[in-house]
Amino acid sequence: MEQMSTLTRNGLRTRPALAGALLAATCLSPSALAQDGPRRDGTVSKSEVASGSLLLQASTPGRYVEAPLVAADVKMNIAGPVIRTTLTQRFTNPTDKWVEGVYAFPLPEDAAVDTLKIVIGDRFIEGDIKERQEARIIYEQAAANGQRAGLVEEERPNLFTTSLANIGPGETVAIQIEYQDKARLDNGVWSTRFPLVIAPRYSPKPTFGLTADRTNRSIAVNDPVPDRGRITPPVLHPAHEPSGPEGLRLPVNFDISLEAGVPIADISSQSHGLVVTKADADSATVTLKDGDVPADRDFILSWKAEPAKAPTASLFREERNGEDYLLAVVNPPAIKVQGQRRDRETIFVIDNSGSMSGESMDQAKQGLLLALDRLAPTDEFNVIRFDDTMDMLFTTAVSANEQNLARARRFVSSLEANGGTEMLPALRAALIDNDKSNTEEVRQVVFITDGSIGNEDELFSAITGSLGRSRLFTVGIGSAPNAYFMTRAARQGRGTFTYMDDVTKVTEQSAKLFAALENPVMTDLAVKLPAGAADAYPSPLPDLYSGEPVTLVLRAADLKGDLTLSGRLNGSTWTQTFSIADAASTKGVAQLWGRAKIAGFEESRYSGMSLEDVDKGVLTTALDFHLVSRLTSLVAVDKTPARPAGEALDTRQIASMLPKGWDFGAVFGPQAEARALRFDRLPDTVMQKINARATQEMPAPEQDLALPGTASMWELSLAFGLGLIAFGAALLRRGRVLISPRGLAAASVGPMRTTSVDRSKR
Amino acid sequence: MKPINLSTRSLSALALLVAGALIAAQALYIPAKAQVAQVLMSSAWERQLSSGDLARPWPWADFTPTARLSFPAQHQTVLALTDAAGESLAFGPTLMAASVEPGARGVAVFAAHRDTHFAFLKSVKPGDPVTVETANGARTFTVTHAEVVRWDQSGIVPNDNGPPRIALVTCWPLEAKTPGPMRYVVWAELSRLKAT
Repeated sequence: MEQMSTLTRNGLRTRPALAGALLAATCLSPSALAQDGPRRDGTVSKSEVASGSLLLQASTPGRYVEAPLVAADVKMNIAGPVIRTTLTQRFTNPTDKWVEGVYAFPLPEDAAVDTLKIVIGDRFIEGDIKERQEARIIYEQAAANGQRAGLVEEERPNLFTTSLANIGPGETVAIQIEYQDKARLDNGVWSTRFPLVIAPRYSPKPTFGLTADRTNRSIAVNDPVPDRGRITPPVLHPAHEPSGPEGLRLPVNFDISLEAGVPIADISSQSHGLVVTKADADSATVTLKDGDVPADRDFILSWKAEPAKAPTASLFREERNGEDYLLAVVNPPAIKVQGQRRDRETIFVIDNSGSMSGESMDQAKQGLLLALDRLAPTDEFNVIRFDDTMDMLFTTAVSANEQNLARARRFVSSLEANGGTEMLPALRAALIDNDKSNTEEVRQVVFITDGSIGNEDELFSAITGSLGRSRLFTVGIGSAPNAYFMTRAARQGRGTFTYMDDVTKVTEQSAKLFAALENPVMTDLAVKLPAGAADAYPSPLPDLYSGEPVTLVLRAADLKGDLTLSGRLNGSTWTQTFSIADAASTKGVAQLWGRAKIAGFEESRYSGMSLEDVDKGVLTTALDFHLVSRLTSLVAVDKTPARPAGEALDTRQIASMLPKGWDFGAVFGPQAEARALRFDRLPDTVMQKINARATQEMPAPEQDLALPGTASMWELSLAFGLGLIAFGAALLRRGRVLISPRGLAAASVGPMRTTSVDRSKR
Repeated sequence: MKPINLSTRSLSALALLVAGALIAAQALYIPAKAQVAQVLMSSAWERQLSSGDLARPWPWADFTPTARLSFPAQHQTVLALTDAAGESLAFGPTLMAASVEPGARGVAVFAAHRDTHFAFLKSVKPGDPVTVETANGARTFTVTHAEVVRWDQSGIVPNDNGPPRIALVTCWPLEAKTPGPMRYVVWAELSRLKAT
């Protein structure tokens, strides 16, 4: 019994000790095999990997696709405030298959996209504006037929998707998009911003509600972001982004011609290094110092007129189909603090969600700390912070005494960026006004965020619904804030939008916000033409804060005479008259008006216009002006099929870059980061593949699980053992005369015992 | 009684008999151990389910039961173990350490000897159900297909974040008696909940 248990114990614990040399010779252990196997460097690539491509995780598990590379050329023609941009996207297909490239990319929030062309060699195929559904059907059919086709769809006013079908193996096909935009004027500085990256957006989860009537009960799903899939392209982990000029995955190049119309004092960019070549006093060409740049942050160009020569108003006109269109950018008289300062109740809302992680959070905190310093003891204030949870520092606004301010500073300093972006509850809390009828006091909500959310609609509704006497000031943080959300939220909140996107210039950039918060505002702004009221946008004209110009576009049947602007400032009326004859003729003003009218329709849905009327207005205007909108897309189809029948077409989504300064893990969570980084062991291999575009490399083995040996071979050993016994028995039978049956029995028992004893000694 | 004349020949015959008996016993010990271990483990499994704590089937075992695999069509039930560097294969199918939890996104890989616990794998056909019961409850998978792969080119990437699947792995050819580089993989996918 003792021996048996010892045997069991040994046997169960380790491999059978008795196996011995005979068994070992026939049993190959898996570890022995592993050493002889091919070198495992853990590469993720599949056998079909070609060089010059980037691997993206495909929807089919375990499969990786090579994404086409997209290079973009941006050509901007700036004439005064009117900007015409041609964006060329070159899709290179590194695979040996026919692919469809799908690329989500940002544009300025009021870009009027009116032209789409497919460029094949030296041929252009011009696109047409169609209703969104119709355009998609045309595109899909052409794609299925093997024809080259391009489609531009609007996902958000500042977020578009291009689809390009039938890019042949190893081929490069380009599409061109043209849009009209206008420069922004702030405190005498003109600027334009070209967004290059879609910041990953947080989309609140759908909610489920049980609805019941007499007969049946059903679950209603209320998704605040019904198109979440379309606004969240895949994002490549920065560790996988190739670096160096050869390796840019989404290189962008700028070529800008600037005709300011007035002598230029200064041209600069806070985002990128520039090479400026001045043609004469009024005009210049601008390129980037680095040539191709990665698509990981917005490009900003600013220019200033010679102070003495800066006009108070810039007027531009265009005639289109018998109607006149006018763009006016007017500097109002400097708004100075007149009379005494009014007390204010300021609610600061600060976003500390994961997307703010890194530099953004520091900027936001610094900006807010500066704002706290500017409060007077007679002011009241509160601080709200939110990620996917929310905290209010005080239950209600408190006076800005030293004690409360000290507490607020500690609260702000300790904030860390993490979690989701549930903005709605924070916004609602900030707009709760306990003192609605107090008109002596100004109520201001300062909302500091990067706006990386997908539920814009919900938020706009909340702003319009509960604004009251509050004014909403949005402050856009980071290298790629969602400017569409910020500007429209500020407009509907009757406040203003400030960029705070440079961590080294927080003081400078926040000065503009403080000027807006602390100086009186010009209200009741109106524009008048001799012929009567003008069809002007934005409608109504927004209140003007310190340093802001009046920017408006209008349409009239016959434009002549004088244009009169009026407004109210500190109880007195301001009027100014301009001669329309001074307006310079410029192409593109009509497109800007069309785009502004569409924005006007979209806005009016939050102020009670029925959805049908909004849709009708948007659709008619967009078709009239050949503009891409929520309801219309541009589609271009080449008549000649390119892809031979019988070859399949694969769809490849092109991953966005992570905005500069963002932390992948803080945005997507540690699990997603681990997943994205799992292949990080070999970025070198992948990078080499991208950079060595021409070299023919053998594909590396995939990262498969090595399987263990699963043959115990007991049957074989049993047969072998029995064979030995039989052979021994045969030998014995031959020598039977020499041995008695009893002896045999004794002999066969004896050694067994010996063995047992032997084992127990081990 | 005659004295026993131990000639060289009979000595070597005895030696052969002894060696043969030992090897045969050793061989028979493998399936016996496989069976006994399953019995010991099933009580550990019950303890584990009721207490929620990991229970070792015997005090010195360096693995614990982790899942019960049932093959209703084959009338087979077998307890799978956690991976203990190849040791555990002798006692039951092993949930490989590199794979995911059964039911999680990705592939849970169970390996077992073709001549003991997974001997019945040859009769498993596409469409057959496989129930995997873990501490988190029971999930039913449906066999989709089977394939033969090289051990080092399995095509199995456990953490591929795909739909929950299990892969049952054993040696190929199923009837062969010697080890080889090929493996037989039976794939099963988590059965979708039937619409109600």
